[in-house]
Amino acid sequence: MRVLRRIWALSAKEVRHVMRDPRSLYLALGMPVVMLLLFGFGVSFDLERLPIAFVDLDQSASSRELRQRYTANDDFIDAGSIALEDAERALVAGEVMAVVVIEEGFERHLRRGEQASIQLLIDGSDNNGATQTRGKAEAMGRVFGFSLAQRSVASAPPPIQTRQWMRFNPEGRSAVFLVPGIAAYVLAMVAVMLTALTVSREWERGSMAQLFSTPVGRLEIVLGKLLPYVVLGTLAVLLVLAVGMWVFDVPFRGSSVALIVLSFLFIAGMLGQGLLISVVARNQMVATQAAALSSMLPSMLLSGFIFPIENMPMVLQYVSRIIPARYFVEGLRGVLLRGNGLGELWPQAAALLAFTLVMIVVSTARFRRSIA
Amino acid sequence: MTEHAIESRALRKQFGDFVAVDDVSFHVEKGEIFGYLGANGAGKSTTIRMLCGLLEPSGGSATVAGHEVGREPMRVKASIGYMSQKFSLYRDLVAEHNLEFFGGIYGLSGKRLRSAIEAAVERTGLQPYREALTSSLPGGIRQRLALACALMHGPEIVFLDEPTAGVDPASRRDFWRLIRELAQAGTTVFVTTHYMDEAEYCARIGLMVDGQLVALDTPRALKRDWVPGVTLSVGGRDLHRGIEPALALPGVIAAEPFGAAVRVRFEEGREDEAALRRLFGEVGRVDRVERVDASLEDVFLAVVGAGAKDEAA
Amino acid sequence: MSKPAMLAAIVKKEVRQTVRDRRMMALLVIAPVVQLFVLGHAVNLEVDDVPTVVVDQDHSPTSREHVRRLLADGTLTEVARRHTVEDAERMLETGDAAVVLVIPAGFGEDVVRRRPATVQAVLDGGDPNRANVAGAAIASYFTEQSQGLIRARVERIASLRGVAARTPDVSVRSRVLFNPQLDTAIYMVPGVAAILLALITTIVASMGLAREREVGTLEQILVTPVPAGVLISGKIVPYAVVGLIDFGIALVVGAYVFDVPLLGNMAVLVLGTSLYLLTTLGVGLLISTLSGSQQQAFLGGFLFLLPATLLSGIMTPIRSMPEWLQPLTLLNPMRHYAEVLRGSLLRGAGLTDLVVPLSALALMGVLIFGFSAARFRAALMK
Repeated sequence: MRVLRRIWALSAKEVRHVMRDPRSLYLALGMPVVMLLLFGFGVSFDLERLPIAFVDLDQSASSRELRQRYTANDDFIDAGSIALEDAERALVAGEVMAVVVIEEGFERHLRRGEQASIQLLIDGSDNNGATQTRGKAEAMGRVFGFSLAQRSVASAPPPIQTRQWMRFNPEGRSAVFLVPGIAAYVLAMVAVMLTALTVSREWERGSMAQLFSTPVGRLEIVLGKLLPYVVLGTLAVLLVLAVGMWVFDVPFRGSSVALIVLSFLFIAGMLGQGLLISVVARNQMVATQAAALSSMLPSMLLSGFIFPIENMPMVLQYVSRIIPARYFVEGLRGVLLRGNGLGELWPQAAALLAFTLVMIVVSTARFRRSIA
Repeated sequence: MTEHAIESRALRKQFGDFVAVDDVSFHVEKGEIFGYLGANGAGKSTTIRMLCGLLEPSGGSATVAGHEVGREPMRVKASIGYMSQKFSLYRDLVAEHNLEFFGGIYGLSGKRLRSAIEAAVERTGLQPYREALTSSLPGGIRQRLALACALMHGPEIVFLDEPTAGVDPASRRDFWRLIRELAQAGTTVFVTTHYMDEAEYCARIGLMVDGQLVALDTPRALKRDWVPGVTLSVGGRDLHRGIEPALALPGVIAAEPFGAAVRVRFEEGREDEAALRRLFGEVGRVDRVERVDASLEDVFLAVVGAGAKDEAA
Repeated sequence: MSKPAMLAAIVKKEVRQTVRDRRMMALLVIAPVVQLFVLGHAVNLEVDDVPTVVVDQDHSPTSREHVRRLLADGTLTEVARRHTVEDAERMLETGDAAVVLVIPAGFGEDVVRRRPATVQAVLDGGDPNRANVAGAAIASYFTEQSQGLIRARVERIASLRGVAARTPDVSVRSRVLFNPQLDTAIYMVPGVAAILLALITTIVASMGLAREREVGTLEQILVTPVPAGVLISGKIVPYAVVGLIDFGIALVVGAYVFDVPLLGNMAVLVLGTSLYLLTTLGVGLLISTLSGSQQQAFLGGFLFLLPATLLSGIMTPIRSMPEWLQPLTLLNPMRHYAEVLRGSLLRGAGLTDLVVPLSALALMGVLIFGFSAARFRAALMK
């Protein structure tokens, strides 16, 4: 059909543009991989070796034992002893994560079989660190108390043990959680930027007007422009995931078909978004800013990449429903970690498909109004 | 003794292996309208940009408004105005704001700026367009605006690089009227143009071919030197088939079509109107035969052709 | 030639152009506010209501009671019951649950008879943070319960003997300073503001200059006796002002909408912000000198911002990064500015406490700006 041939011709031209400017290729293939590596290493929630200081007002064997327990494994490191007056200042200055205050009479209370208390002052300005610190420190205190209780009574009832393990990610590495999100994040931005730049560039240079003097239809232009980048983008997705899996030991337990389908639809959707931006904003500067803003922060913050969607206010949960990155991250985690296939992930695929179609339709519609 | 407004001494610019401007020397008098002609890529814009302090010369030197271009570019810039080939004002500002900006950029402020704007607007006839968005202005008016901006600080010398490119003939004529008024008021005008008819307005013309200044003189002298002889123009119908045989006539140096007419150039003293009437009468209808001056276009073709011949030799 | 007049002319022109471009105005002012608003609400690392599948193979009053109490505090939420572990794990696979709690048969008996009893939990490792919190909650609960058992036993023995019951116990009283609710927004909003500031100023600065070069207006300016320093300042000043205004807006939004405290010294904040803007604008300027076109300028800005954002300690802590990567973050102005913001706003840190990040910003700002200006001047005459 002539339409197909025209689309092919437009795509071929686009491919030639890209080939002539190898930077686009680097952008599409190289940059995401570089970013993945950089972020894969740099972005993590695994906190260890948090510095805590001690105010030991008791100076007893028990207090020393407690202190030893706290710093026995890698969770905390002993940042030294300080005076009580200095505790708050040390926290304000950001020198330590927390200060453990062991009050006078600590051992005395324990020997008498009473409750002894310790105070934990935590720097709340580092939210993540504070939560983890509080959790770990409180648990350690409790376990210490429990071991003392056990020792104090002969024939003490044995503790109720909990055996837990983490499925899909036994070591509990945050990389496994984050890499799908990183991949989605990086690719989302690259895709949006790529297309946002191509069309608005043609508007500014005037070659768009040239195109319109030919019998090419709007939909053909849209599809012709998208096609090469979709192919390129899908390759990029697969490349990024492959690197991610290899370097960060992210497993791949699910269906390859599902992976390819999801990747293709995601990239198509993001490219569509970029295209829409470039059609609406004829000015390169505005187009690129809009592309950056609309892809960077939403992909990072509303996709479930780092911050779970379930915890967000309802309004934002609804908003995240129109962000393709969300579905892609969900889908990726399902395929890579939980061994899912299209049977489980068809809702995500459908959502991505819907988004893509909407983008194409709106871009095509807006295209007309831009010329007329 | 009077200083020249512009003096170029063996000016040279090289980009890698390519020599854009090769050993160009000339001078321009104060208050003169100096034309600079040449084909695209001959080196005109490069020369201008060096004289304006936009480009550093690879060799040679130039003095503009009493300051040496390589050593005191800022002083040079303070004394000149420049209108570039590509329209380079802010399209998204109204005309008046462009004037305000360029006046301010030259250091004008307050009352001085206001009066400079008024003077520029009046001189270039921009009063009805002051509030209009620059992008909405028609071509000829835009060029006038660009000229006005270049004149805000009352420079001694003004460089115009193809100021009337793409402008309609009526506007072009108006523009040149402005240029002549400027020159009459004492401003030196250095202008490059593609339009040979405009070049006639210049006091002297320099011709560049492939980076070299091949000819420099008044239009009249150039015509005399490069297109010697007497030219007769034959007007009528269906005359073009007579060109070939006309070349065979005794004393004929050249014969070229000129629109519907044919121009035949004879060596001095050998013009033969009767012979032409006979010859062209046979192929078509001859309405008139008259003597015309050589055009600068002829000069240009002769100069460029000579350049090409030199290269071949 | 009056330099102030030249500077004023350039600044006025920038302002006029920007104000006229409504889309740009939206980007510079409205978008950051909206983004801050939305994102401040989005960022939340707290874990609760973790969907849990309960497999109670014991069916005893003891097991039922323990399950009820375990789920009481809201960290875990029961979404289903299953009879077999396989069925329950299937829910993990589909993502419908994150925890499988298994109480094996005979649990109740074991507890009553003071025999070792075990509870199992299978956690979804796909979100290790959530899994850790859920797992810790379960472990904590049963530790407490075990402690209770011991105490009960001690009391019984003591009452039999007629003496006071004595069970040593350690209680931990936590006090979280500076953000007692551990409200994620308070922690994140200053960070997001830092990101937005950089996003706006760097990209706009880099593209603005590239644009003038592309469109041709730059040449017209270069013909005038404007010194390169004045030209740069004139183009940068409006963006710096916009940056400061955006900062002000962010503070207001942060304080009123998210209850971000304003403990610190405003002077320190303004100083820190100005230095930060110096670096971001300097980077924008540097990028524009290295770029041949607007597109390149944008890409350059982007390539700087992407890593700067994720490796700034704003989203994820610097302490979590590998040892070799942590020193590199010292080169990231976002990191230092985030420290200044958080330190000042949340901890009330003063000039002396923040001398390290402030000096880093100052040093980087001066170096980057100086280098960029020199490159710009050199690139002008080619």
